Amino acid sequence: MAKPTNNSEPTIVAFLCNWCSYAGADLAGVNRMQYPANVRVIRVPCSGRVDPLYIIKALQEGADGVVVSGCHPGDCHYISGNLVARRKFAMLKSFLEYLGIEPERVQFSWVSASEGGRFASLIEKVVDDVRKLRTPRKIVKEETITANVR
Amino acid sequence: MYKKAMVVGGGVAGIQAALDLAEMGIETFLVESGPSIGGRMSQLDKTFPTNDCAMCILSPKLVQAGGHPYLHIITNSEVAGVEGVAPDLKVKVLKRPRYVDESKCTGCGICVTKCPTKVPDPYNKGLSQTKAIRIPFPQAVPAVAVIDPASCLYLKKGTCRLCQKACGTNAIDFTQKDELVTIEVGSVILACGTTEFNAKLKGEYGYGVFPNVVTSIEYERLLSASGPTGGHIVRPSDKKEPTRIAILQCVGSRDISAGNEHCSAICCMQAAKDAIITQEHLPKAKSTIFYMDIRAYGKGFDRFIAKARDRHDTTLINGRIASVESDPVTNDLDIRYITQDGKVSSKKFDMLVLSVGMQPSVSSMAAANNLHVRLDSAGFVSVDTMEPVTTSRAGIFACGSVSGPKDIPESVMEASGAASAAASTMGDLEVKQIKADLPIQKDLRGEPPRIGVYVCRCGINIASVVDVPSVVQYAQSLPGVKFAGELMFSCAQDSQKAIKAAIETHKLNRLVVAACTPRTHEPLFQNTLEQAGVNPYLFEFANIREHCAWVHQKEPANATRKACDLVRASVAKVKLAAPLYRKSMGVTKGALVIGGGLAGMTAALDLANQDYDVTMLEKSGELGGNLLHVRSTLSGKVTRPELAGLIEKVTVHAKIKTHFNARIKKVSGYVGNFHTELEGNGAPIDHGVVIVASGADEFQPAEYLYGKDDRVVTQRRLEEMIFAESENSQTVSDKPHSAISNLKSVVMIQCVGSRDDKRDYCSRVCCSNALKNAIAIKEQNPKTAVYILFRDIRSYGLREKYYRIAREKGVIFIRFEKDKKPEVTNKGGNLVVSVKDTILGKAVSIRPDLLVLSAGIVANPDNKALSQFFKVPLEQDGFFLEAHVKLRPVDFATDGVFVCGLAHYPKDIGETIAQARAAAGRAATILSKKSIESEGKISSIRQEMCSGCGACVAVCAYGAAELDPVKGIAVVNEALCKGCGACAASCRAGAIDLNGFRNEQILSMLNTI
Amino acid sequence: MQDAEKKMKTAAKKLFDDKKVDVIVGFRKGSRANSSRPYFARSAADVENLVWNGFCTANLAAFLPGLFEKPARPEDGYKPPRIAVIAKGCDSRSVAGLVKENQVPRANVIVIGMPCNGMTAAVKGAQVKKDEIGRACLECVSPMVKDADISITGESRKPAKGGYARVKAFAAKSSEERWKAFVKEIAKCIRCNACREACPNCYCKVCFADQKKPAWVSPANELSETIAFHMGRMFHQAGRCVECDACVNACPMGIDLRLFTQKLAQDAHDLFGSVPGISGDEAPMLNMFKQDDSECFITDPEEK
Repeated sequence: MAKPTNNSEPTIVAFLCNWCSYAGADLAGVNRMQYPANVRVIRVPCSGRVDPLYIIKALQEGADGVVVSGCHPGDCHYISGNLVARRKFAMLKSFLEYLGIEPERVQFSWVSASEGGRFASLIEKVVDDVRKLRTPRKIVKEETITANVR
Repeated sequence: MYKKAMVVGGGVAGIQAALDLAEMGIETFLVESGPSIGGRMSQLDKTFPTNDCAMCILSPKLVQAGGHPYLHIITNSEVAGVEGVAPDLKVKVLKRPRYVDESKCTGCGICVTKCPTKVPDPYNKGLSQTKAIRIPFPQAVPAVAVIDPASCLYLKKGTCRLCQKACGTNAIDFTQKDELVTIEVGSVILACGTTEFNAKLKGEYGYGVFPNVVTSIEYERLLSASGPTGGHIVRPSDKKEPTRIAILQCVGSRDISAGNEHCSAICCMQAAKDAIITQEHLPKAKSTIFYMDIRAYGKGFDRFIAKARDRHDTTLINGRIASVESDPVTNDLDIRYITQDGKVSSKKFDMLVLSVGMQPSVSSMAAANNLHVRLDSAGFVSVDTMEPVTTSRAGIFACGSVSGPKDIPESVMEASGAASAAASTMGDLEVKQIKADLPIQKDLRGEPPRIGVYVCRCGINIASVVDVPSVVQYAQSLPGVKFAGELMFSCAQDSQKAIKAAIETHKLNRLVVAACTPRTHEPLFQNTLEQAGVNPYLFEFANIREHCAWVHQKEPANATRKACDLVRASVAKVKLAAPLYRKSMGVTKGALVIGGGLAGMTAALDLANQDYDVTMLEKSGELGGNLLHVRSTLSGKVTRPELAGLIEKVTVHAKIKTHFNARIKKVSGYVGNFHTELEGNGAPIDHGVVIVASGADEFQPAEYLYGKDDRVVTQRRLEEMIFAESENSQTVSDKPHSAISNLKSVVMIQCVGSRDDKRDYCSRVCCSNALKNAIAIKEQNPKTAVYILFRDIRSYGLREKYYRIAREKGVIFIRFEKDKKPEVTNKGGNLVVSVKDTILGKAVSIRPDLLVLSAGIVANPDNKALSQFFKVPLEQDGFFLEAHVKLRPVDFATDGVFVCGLAHYPKDIGETIAQARAAAGRAATILSKKSIESEGKISSIRQEMCSGCGACVAVCAYGAAELDPVKGIAVVNEALCKGCGACAASCRAGAIDLNGFRNEQILSMLNTI
Repeated sequence: MQDAEKKMKTAAKKLFDDKKVDVIVGFRKGSRANSSRPYFARSAADVENLVWNGFCTANLAAFLPGLFEKPARPEDGYKPPRIAVIAKGCDSRSVAGLVKENQVPRANVIVIGMPCNGMTAAVKGAQVKKDEIGRACLECVSPMVKDADISITGESRKPAKGGYARVKAFAAKSSEERWKAFVKEIAKCIRCNACREACPNCYCKVCFADQKKPAWVSPANELSETIAFHMGRMFHQAGRCVECDACVNACPMGIDLRLFTQKLAQDAHDLFGSVPGISGDEAPMLNMFKQDDSECFITDPEEK
């Protein structure tokens, strides 16, 4: 199936928790805050739902960058899901960076339901960070490389 | 005879009351005078202080009301009379013709396009045009056309009937006539609201004369994305973006000459909201608010005002506009205004927004009269502080602004409270059994996915940016998709019909809707699936409005590409969706009420009167809470006898058991099935719901010589002094009390411990308390000089009357600034209060005999423990945080737990009672059910893959994951699981997974990148 | 060392004689010269086969989850076996971790703590010389056995200072250099899963990499899949890896997995103060949190 994603533009996968960051993204919309169209949101109930493997898989499947955003510490709809996630993400971010994946490609943030502006800035920043990278994507599937060359 | 009720008025209060009644199994008739329910809230852009989009949060409620099996919506109708005695009332309802057969109209709108008669659109306050036949607004319920007989050519002149010719379903019916029907009900709730003040009556502001003078409700439409300008703020004269906006408060409020003494209670916050939103739309725009007092008395309100001032360039000027001139060429406005120090200034503005007040409407008053309900002198339904939802006629209740100006949450609280009160009067009657008429879900086993995709245009919201037809075309090409189509408004009722029809025709077994946000609209489409016999979890949303069209307005090609991507990902996810089933669990028909104060006792009594068992926990040795320290209401009614009566009722009630000196040790269970253990011995308490009414405390001042000088007291102590000798009397001024009447001079200082940097919130009741006690002192001895040192007098709503009475009695009001607080010293044995009077502009020094501090209200420190026991959140000031500040003011996100009274936020006696009754009403919607259902999207374990490492157990905040002690592998308690998925993300083996967000589904979505 | 072996055998024999154990997990002589291999002694007679020498490289804790695996119906009177394990420092740390993760009932395990002088790295190709003490042992900070039930005394290595010098050196390279180096190592992988089989922490009943629904990674020998597999498997060791190098020693291709897994150990320590099997955390590091855990990795989009 032809994928309509424009290959010359980076694709960013955003895992957003339903209660804060997704709502913040909704608010950005309601407030008509404009941000780059490169982001593809995957709604999850909580940032704690995000298995670190999802991030690795997203990169492997062709994402140029991944951003995970949840409720600010203390705001979690599920009490502590974001705090459990925070440890995992701290370890993962450092590990991937060590292996040579540019830190710009994997980012974590907190956006509340009332922070439409912060959400828009976050996406702008991540897209901008990834755009500025001069280095090639990592964990590239061979078939994807072929597709790009073609 | 079974339980039936009527609600008059289909605004947010009426809708809430009707939904609560319907959820209790009471067949409810919602009578609305207009063609759609929704009321004033449907015209608002955003709601303060969270700036939630009003329609976004209201519309799901409209839809829920439209589809509830126990709820009948009767539009274009008014109550014409009532006979009988509750619970045997016969209400006459006059149904005015709609000229459109509701049962036939699909709301397709073709008639509207054919209608030749353009008329000003009342929904947009005449700022845009609509037709003589129209659907009131896009999200209207019922989504059915209506003909305005005043402008319809056929009805006026007997020619045209183009609509009738165009209608594909023969729905136009010009033969409809007025119809008088009688409906038998057990109880009636009046919720017919108010109307706004006619700004033309204040000619000096130029409304109706100068094009750039608009009312706040018109401005609301200008701000609204669904308004006449699509949310693009332009001034009426030249359609240019304004940069200088003046907002004038109290137009037709707090103005006896305009016929309205009351404060309209919401306009200060609305003005701040408008200022903030204006700047969000137009970054260069700056607003100036001319006010008398900033009445930011609710949760988060003061912070919101500060946000407008400090972060959105809003100037707050304490002053009144004297005159407005409009430049004949530019239509710019020259506004002359007088500040509080008497100075006259003038300034140029592009626009003037008049914050028009609320006042009783003719139709509301007529409804009340027809129901033989007493009105007060202003025309509001008369209610007593201690009976805030009870009218003068038995069995008839009132809620919302019909009984005085109110904000949305107060209206919603009263609505739930009125529903509870109405249900209590029908305690003995049977509940009508209406079967939810859902078809049996089809068995999908072995069936390949047959996916339907609907792409919503959302009018122009989506379609003006995203190329909807090409997204539809793209969706059609995706594997598994058997049907794809577009909808003008996917949330409209006729769209649900279309979706159901497509499911039938194309034998669809999965659905994707690409529209707005699932956070508000997912339940709607899930309901549609259910009605079509498809499991509601075989559904995915693609958010192409908030996450796409609205945020990529200038790049339609990229937005369209993104919409395709989002649809592809949703299709990939839904393809792997499996049917999910909610588990049914029994309900313990009992409530636990925490706190034996006014709120707790009121809620307990309401539930007990509905025949539910109530266990009340009181941490002290006596009932009464803070009300023990209150002696009179603002209106002068003594509270001791009321309190004694309440305590008596609670004490003798067979259904209420009270534990004194109670401390909770342990709480387990979940909605419908809680178990609470108390410290000490005794059996655990089984209960189905919890009402948290843990109250709050008086702030203990550490300034103004409090505690160092006996002449410095708090309002609470003053109240005791005033009443010390008139304990058993019936009114405040029965018997002068020497200790008070001998005083020569009393100074009151407001906002002690409130509205400062440490506690940045208004304690809401202190202004009224000060007025109440100042009036009482004056009544005991008119010669006593009483000074109230204040920052803003916040006698919101009908409380304004007492501000006037206090002034008339000679109470002297001195305004001070936040950073120029009064100073209190002891000079040679005399108390000296010095303050800079901002009105006079000079320092004032007073030597009072008594200094009274209006000490604020601080959160109960026990709230923290309670919040952990019941897994409910606190906000930053330590009060409980409700599920939604506007529409769910007594609920928590955690099911089965409710809040009322001071535990939620400072509030007065009447508001506490209303909220307590609301909590009882909401609790009754659970207790009235035989069973409740678990969440559908919860964790499940593949036992053969689990090694029992315990990661899921460790990360679960709800104790829902446990290790089976024998098998050593994890099990999930479906009732406790909230579906966060932390367990699934922590399981290295992938043995535990989250239904609805399964690993397989997420990976499949990633695969579409 | 022979002395230690003798003492160990005596203790082992006594355990069987006293009927205190069903199995002793230890080493016997390998089939090649200069080698030992894991051995399950099931009787006093088997004790004679046990050895203790410089080739006892494997982490014997890896066998415990399997030995303690419950039958399908444990409610039908299942009793876990009593198992003694001949343990080096690293094995004992793994035992502690497995106890924390409910894989090993501590009451049923007898840890026979051995003095460890470091073990010979496994022989692979030409790169590693015979008799060379492995890197894990040279860098070992905890050669002493933790919580031994029976301690066999003898000459033992001194704990290394630690400090993750190799990790630091690697981190100092540019990200492209690191990625190239990482890919170069991982590209050697033939997906034989020996690393997984050798690791005491890899006790999942079905490894994520072997699952079909969902297919986290494809078994195909495609580089990105192999990278995803190793990233995933290594990350599953975060806060759990005891740096024993069982994976490294098992790898037939000589992949320097240690260079990467050590980073996880370093971060576990630096970010959360966790040293798996040594620090007294109440739960595995990623199963818990603190309110004030590090936030340094969080993107603040509004930060100027």
